[in-house]
Amino acid sequence: MPYISYDKKEISFKIVYYGPGMSGKTTNLMYIHNSLAENLRGELVSLDTEEERTLFFDFFPLELGQIAGYDVKFNLYTIPGQIYYEASRKLMLEGADGVVFVADSNPLRFDRNITSYEMMLDNLASYHIDAEQFPIVLQYNKRDFPDAIERGSLEKVLEIQVPSLEAVATSGEGVMETIRTISKMIIEGFEL
Amino acid sequence: MKDYFIKEKVDPIISGLCRDIKPITILLITKQGTVISEAGDTKSINTTAMAALTAGMFSATREVAKMVGEQQFSILLQQGEKRHIHISLVTEDAMMIIVFEDYRRIGMVRVEAKKAGTRLIDIAMAEKAKDTDAAFAAHHPSTSTNTNENQDARNKDGKISTPEFKEYALNLIDQIFVTKT
Ligand SMILES: Nc1nc2c(ncn2[C@@H]2O[C@H](COP(=O)(O)OP(=O)(O)OP(=O)(O)O)[C@@H](O)[C@H]2O)c(=O)[nH]1
Ligand SMILES: [Mg+2]
Repeated sequence: MPYISYDKKEISFKIVYYGPGMSGKTTNLMYIHNSLAENLRGELVSLDTEEERTLFFDFFPLELGQIAGYDVKFNLYTIPGQIYYEASRKLMLEGADGVVFVADSNPLRFDRNITSYEMMLDNLASYHIDAEQFPIVLQYNKRDFPDAIERGSLEKVLEIQVPSLEAVATSGEGVMETIRTISKMIIEGFEL
Repeated sequence: MKDYFIKEKVDPIISGLCRDIKPITILLITKQGTVISEAGDTKSINTTAMAALTAGMFSATREVAKMVGEQQFSILLQQGEKRHIHISLVTEDAMMIIVFEDYRRIGMVRVEAKKAGTRLIDIAMAEKAKDTDAAFAAHHPSTSTNTNENQDARNKDGKISTPEFKEYALNLIDQIFVTKT
């Protein structure tokens, strides 16, 4: 549920980038941050380890603009993908309005994508979110891998149907399309 | 989540607290990490980032609390060389951050934060009650004897129609999220 203040005239949505370790979540966020006009974006905060692995989260707020006198904002977060950060990962999903699942197209990481997606479903369920009614976009990242996994293969195993996109986050390919898709899904499902 | 902290009622409490304890900065933030109200020096500190980080810190602490059999630690104190931070849970959804310099004032900070917290809870509770009344009135039109004035005004000037909102928002999304070429 978005945060709405009738009084401050503000509506903010939370978008979370979820996925296994090293799949490219932080890279997505950094690319978006770099692409936005300066007046629209707040500072990017990264809580990471010395090896630049996300420890808790990356975050930045962005101003969509004014609509009917309301300041509409998106708060973008990534989660730490590494297995042992499960507790912090779950926390970041609290209050989320939509999720981008960043999958790693490296065939060696196929199973990690599956495990991570299943964890995400568990995490969502713990907040009483019905994943089937919830905005989720599946991004097949690292499409530059020569033997990248087939698009659609994760959905098959997971028995899910969600919109999917291909991306190479390091070059920015597909990154803006992804954020556009999830934002639109969130807005479409929003009731004032 | 809906915000029950009406700014015009909350701001005086926060700025009053600021006058009383003379800290560097005070922020009232939501559990999601948005700033509800702020007072003191808010220029030299990135309050948006601070709110997001503190909210994260607090939720992490809540999990740690559970591990040792506590529901939540209601106060977090971070002691630095020159500056210190006192963070207290106001309601389940909101917390107050006080950045101050003179550590000898900690007792006062604690007491005054608690007092202000109680007043903030009262405000939130009152708003919530109004909301419940309004929702009740909406569902039971025949019994709505005392329609709330405040609620009326808010609906009149604050209302946006959903289809219109969506159209504008979708438009902005297309404009903003473009790949630079
Ligand atoms: N070849 C290739 N490398 C990528 C792509 N996207 C990200 N990477 C690289 O993968 C590594 C991990 O990227 P991050 O964005 O830090 O991954 P993350 O998902 O945030 O990882 P955690 O924070 O540990 O969960 C970095 O070295 C990136 O440069 C891609 O599309 N193709
Ligand atoms: Mg990361």
